[in-house]
Amino acid sequence: MESGDKVMGAAPIRDRLGALWRAQGRLVAPDALIIFALALGLVAGLAALPAHLTIDTVVLLVPPIVAAAAFWRGGAGAAIVAGLGLLLAWQSGPARGSLDAGALAFVLAFSAIAAALGEWAVRRRRLREASARVLEEREAHLRSIFDTAPEAMIVIDAAGIVQSYGLSAERLFGWRPSEVLGRNISMLMPEPFRTQHDSYLQRYLTTGEKRIIGIGRIVVGARRDGSTFPMELAVGEVSSPGSTRVFTGFLRDLTERRENEARLQELQAEVVHISRLTAMGEMASALAHELNQPLSAIANYLNGARKLIGRGPASEAKVSEAVEKAAGQAVRAGDIIRRLRDFLARGEGERSVESLAKLVHEACNLALVGAKESNVDVAYSMDPHLDRVIVDRVQIQQVIVNLVRNALDAMQEQGGGHLDVATTIADGAATVNIADTGPGVDAQAAARLFQPFVTTKANGMGVGLSICRTIVESHGGRIWTEPNPAGGAVFRFTVPLAEAEETA
Amino acid sequence: MSGDFVVHVVDDDEAVRDSLSFTLAASDIKVASYPSALDLLSQVSSLAPGLIITDVRMPGMTGLELVAKLKQLGVGLPVIVLTGHADVAMAVEAMKAGVVDFIEKPFDDAALLAAVEAARQRLQGDAGRLAVRDEILARIGQLTGREKEVFEAIVEGESNKSAALKLGISPRTVEIYRANVMEKMRARTLSDLVRMALLRSSN
Repeated sequence: MESGDKVMGAAPIRDRLGALWRAQGRLVAPDALIIFALALGLVAGLAALPAHLTIDTVVLLVPPIVAAAAFWRGGAGAAIVAGLGLLLAWQSGPARGSLDAGALAFVLAFSAIAAALGEWAVRRRRLREASARVLEEREAHLRSIFDTAPEAMIVIDAAGIVQSYGLSAERLFGWRPSEVLGRNISMLMPEPFRTQHDSYLQRYLTTGEKRIIGIGRIVVGARRDGSTFPMELAVGEVSSPGSTRVFTGFLRDLTERRENEARLQELQAEVVHISRLTAMGEMASALAHELNQPLSAIANYLNGARKLIGRGPASEAKVSEAVEKAAGQAVRAGDIIRRLRDFLARGEGERSVESLAKLVHEACNLALVGAKESNVDVAYSMDPHLDRVIVDRVQIQQVIVNLVRNALDAMQEQGGGHLDVATTIADGAATVNIADTGPGVDAQAAARLFQPFVTTKANGMGVGLSICRTIVESHGGRIWTEPNPAGGAVFRFTVPLAEAEETA
Repeated sequence: MSGDFVVHVVDDDEAVRDSLSFTLAASDIKVASYPSALDLLSQVSSLAPGLIITDVRMPGMTGLELVAKLKQLGVGLPVIVLTGHADVAMAVEAMKAGVVDFIEKPFDDAALLAAVEAARQRLQGDAGRLAVRDEILARIGQLTGREKEVFEAIVEGESNKSAALKLGISPRTVEIYRANVMEKMRARTLSDLVRMALLRSSN
């Protein structure tokens, strides 16, 4: 790109000079010579006609014409014209046969020299035209790159003055080249960079310490309308002896990439959400039962109360008590629905500081709905240390629900067991451990367990654990399984602590 | 209702147990309640005559396991099962286990009292209960041969498809017979139908 930079740097001036030079080249050098030679030949010929119309004077017309032909069409042209001229002179000359050998030799020698010179001049001209064309093509090529490359390019000099500003840059910033060329590059930056850019440049020029040059970083640009946008900036430096030092900046608009990333994240959240819906769908019967309990109680209390109404003061207290209990059960039903709704909410993917123990308890309560008849003992052991984590609560709870449901499924096959839910905190991270006493996971399956569509269940989809991994990894943690020393399997995953710096 | 008749309520959910006891008591029915099937079994030798109402989903021992255990112990008390979601498979299982009736939660007061009354009459060999049974048998008598076959298949828990396969007719035909059966049996839901099948064979 070095030569390219220079071409682009001086492009406007070079363009104009080049055009002028090419025009001169075409008009002045060969064409003028030809015209000059033709004119000379004609004048000489006319001067000789008709008074001295001898073979010698006619022959004298040949060299200028040959010279003209040589400059026009090179050596070959000259030879043909010379041959034709001589033949003509020979045939039509009034003093045919009286041509003396000396004059003929002179004409031939002159024609040969003229032809050689003409050939040389024509070759030179062609060469020059070819190289001019190559240069022109390369410039056009570079100009098209400059204007159409997705990365905008801007060239500045050591003082930060814009030397070159392409169409891509115009699209990016909204400024027209005429408004930017010759002005300080800082106009394309928001504050505080706008006022500080000159000092950055100065610091580099004096210390040589590279902060962006050759490294590239994400910076903020300012559009003409004052709005700002993220962009990736890479700067190349050109400084060769005899030319001024210039910097070429390559700018890529990151707005779209940011949007793509956001879209990807949205899709991922969608998948995670759907998997949550599925998990709850599988628990629908258990959840219906859970909800039916308080509803049944409410119906019972109110039916009983209705019968007791009007039976005197003794039953009035009972009625009042029953109504109060019914109200309590309505709240209980509401709690279940709220818990479910929170879990099923689409969520904004927002992370907040949460107590891990509380989060784990809540998730286990949800996961253990309807599990009471499966003969599983549940033991909790929460690390009493500071356990605040920055997480998307619902997503981490989803992981726990998934792991606990898996553990229950595993133990159901053998009619019950022990479920140990524990949190441990070490090295700035919290680990959630969910241990079951089911049949365990064989080592071969364990390695692939977190990949999508890998399942050990008879009618599983193999999606749950891969989603768990997606969630955990997006939180900067990891998830794995190992054999439970008490038989069965332990699933563990880590979540970074909110106060990692203080506790580490 | 008669003084020595006691409803034994078994439910691990305190609110359900308490409220059920309350509403039965409000209807002047004597109630004894147990937080688990094992609690009831521990007092099985001294149970007052009456009936047992039990939840299906309970830790330790489920309602259906309790029914089986009582049958095994020779306890003749009729059992009504409470269920959150009465699917046919569960109803069939309950029927096989010897349950006399089942009620879907949350239930209407009237449905509960009717079930209790039916069970009480059953215990006393009352004519009313037999009248109910006779009525059901009369409705079954109205079914054509094919309808009867479809009826039996449905209450066994067969799906339309499997019933069709079994009977050698198309699922579409099964659907038509099924609609006829529901209408002739005056059953609103599948649970109703299963319940009738259950009561028909009681004696």
